[in-house]
Amino acid sequence: MLEKILILLCLSSALAEQPCKPDASDGYKVRLSIKTALGDEAYVWNENEMFLFRATLAFAMRSHLNGQEFDVSNIIVCDETPRVTFWFVVTSPLNTSGLVDKGVVEEAIRMSRNRINSAFLLTDKTLEFIGITPTLTAPVNPDTPPWLIVFGVVMGAVGAGIIVVLVSPLVLKKRKKNEETDEDEEETGVKAVENGSTREGVYNMSFSDDERLTQM
Amino acid sequence: MDKGARPNWDNPMQFVLACVSYAVGLGNVWRFPYLCQLHGGGGFLIPYLIMLFLEGVPLFYLELAIGQKMSLGSIGAWTAISPYLGGVGLASVVTSLYLCLYYNIINAWSFWYLFHSFQSVLPWADCPINSNRTGPIEECERATPTQYFFYRETLDISSSIEVNGGIHTGQALCLVLAWLITYLFIVRGVKSTGKVVYFTATFPYVVLFIYLIRGMTLHGAINGVKYMFTPKMEQLANPTTWINAATQIFFSLGLGFGSLIAFASYNQYNNNFERQAIIVSLINSGTSIFASIVTFAIYGFKATVNYENCLERFVTRLLLLNAFSLAEDSITMDTVFDWIEKLNTTYPQQFAEIADKLENCDLESELDTAVEGTGLAFIVYSEAIMNMPLSQLWSVLYFIMLLLLGMGSMLGNVTAIVTPLRDFKITSRMSNELLNGLVCLFCLLLGLGFTTPSGNYWFTMFNDYGATFSLLFIVLIEVITVSYIYGIKRFEKDIEDMLGHRPNWYWKIMWSVTSPVLLIALFIFYIINYIKGGTPTYQAWNKELRYALGSMLVYVAKTTTF
Repeated sequence: MLEKILILLCLSSALAEQPCKPDASDGYKVRLSIKTALGDEAYVWNENEMFLFRATLAFAMRSHLNGQEFDVSNIIVCDETPRVTFWFVVTSPLNTSGLVDKGVVEEAIRMSRNRINSAFLLTDKTLEFIGITPTLTAPVNPDTPPWLIVFGVVMGAVGAGIIVVLVSPLVLKKRKKNEETDEDEEETGVKAVENGSTREGVYNMSFSDDERLTQM
Repeated sequence: MDKGARPNWDNPMQFVLACVSYAVGLGNVWRFPYLCQLHGGGGFLIPYLIMLFLEGVPLFYLELAIGQKMSLGSIGAWTAISPYLGGVGLASVVTSLYLCLYYNIINAWSFWYLFHSFQSVLPWADCPINSNRTGPIEECERATPTQYFFYRETLDISSSIEVNGGIHTGQALCLVLAWLITYLFIVRGVKSTGKVVYFTATFPYVVLFIYLIRGMTLHGAINGVKYMFTPKMEQLANPTTWINAATQIFFSLGLGFGSLIAFASYNQYNNNFERQAIIVSLINSGTSIFASIVTFAIYGFKATVNYENCLERFVTRLLLLNAFSLAEDSITMDTVFDWIEKLNTTYPQQFAEIADKLENCDLESELDTAVEGTGLAFIVYSEAIMNMPLSQLWSVLYFIMLLLLGMGSMLGNVTAIVTPLRDFKITSRMSNELLNGLVCLFCLLLGLGFTTPSGNYWFTMFNDYGATFSLLFIVLIEVITVSYIYGIKRFEKDIEDMLGHRPNWYWKIMWSVTSPVLLIALFIFYIINYIKGGTPTYQAWNKELRYALGSMLVYVAKTTTF
């Protein structure tokens, strides 16, 4: 009889000490990539860091389930590797042998994901909870897409250029016409004088230097 | 200066720059490097240079001579040579028209990319997030972000040429802008074109030089350059190499479109075009080689980055570190392969499980992905640029260069259409501005068809089949006409009249024998290819599978000669 009770006690205590194991149904695997994220400024992963992790997670559970006082002891960690991965499970403060449901844990982590990341100076990519996909930030949608602005500027410049090119000869023509009408009035008086000075011509040099072969 | 006089270039330099601007185009940047890679790197230069001297320079010389002598556009010039041959000129004009329709859409795409470079993160660097905010858009995940940006956001491509939709407004706006700028450049004819070419001919070289320095200093660039220049001499025995070299020289110089005749028709009668022809052809080929060095430096960089990312992503991180839970800094880039072996021997079972997921990261295969055309310019290059530091600056520079190259070629193309039209009595009474405006408007309206979802397929069809065949035919007729119908002796006399000396025996042999023979060979080769190839096919973008082959009945544009 005594032996049976002893065996039962041993079994139950053994079971009670193993809520956390790899592939636990209510547990999550965590993977940290500290050296990738921080390079030379990477900190060493040790017991203290693990304590911080458990405390942060307890904080996340507290924030999500208002009222329930989660403590560091409620976060059980196991199966640590040199890669810095481990499994954890969360026990309920009301019932130390019972595990908190997976879904509840996931919601809690999603809510406080930012806080958890910043406690370790990591990001969604370097502090991974296997199975919990991070919610991506919404893309910034400006009212006017930036390309349209640049397009507008260039289009305006080109349009202005075309208008200038098309209008400027017309403006020049008008100016010439105005000048010519002025000259006509002057010329009728001067004609008599001009006819007398036919000998004084000006030798035009512009065509005499033309070479047969145009050089490059 | 009476009104009937033909306008002229302000000085011979403008003419040379115009020819350079026209000949040096997108093909130098995106076709020549591909051919180089395909046909054994440095070894390809041998057939290329041989063809340049056998075919390229003589034909270029020929077209310039005709244009300068006749001082008329292509239709008028050929009619003057023989009244029965006006059709050759008409064929040139029609081919130029086809080219104008679809060529400016490339400039529209360059504008689109240029305007989108003014953002803090280049839009083709990351996949956009789907509506649930759970991850990137599926279509983008299956392809790469650069491919997604080009095929979905730029083109909004449909799944086949029959499936259609509305016009993509952004594309249409960019196309309108491209045509407005083209109009602005040619509005006063030679007077405005002459000033513009100072910029469009020279600035691309500035950018190429900057990119050369940037490219050579990139990590892994030397891999690409080594890959390109290692000659594979056995490729010289392959006839395709020689045919591709001949074809590349032929199309790169822009022969047969009538643009060279048009440009030369605005020359002074005694302009020394012989020297200019040689100079422009050499500049064109030199630019191709220069551009391919830059392209391969960038290729090498992109391939190295992809290779290292592959190693980092899959081998190091996902599989080794995560599967075997080793400490983070235990595996570095150099020790990866040793670790793979060690783990394979110590944990054979576990390793066998993940062995199929171990992606084969191979630098050679990354370099082997030879790409040409729009795929190179808009996808491969964009991918390389987004990995560079200060990527927005490099992106802006690169697309400005593409724009200048494309716009420079457009100047020649539109001039080839407008110049012959001006020679007709009806249109010569219209002002320059009006005629140019009408031509640009016409091409713009028809070109809007390329901005529809199936537009890229139409573009591919025009690009691959629209001009190639006709051009070979046109230039063949040109060279046979001048050599045998007009007569080499008469042609010699004309050149002596213009230049003061007769052309060398070399030119005469090229015109009468070598070039026609080469062109006939190319022509026969293309015909055989067409017959063997059956119904032409095109690659379609399938949303699920990314690429699928579709086939279509092609409408090959025929040009007529009398």
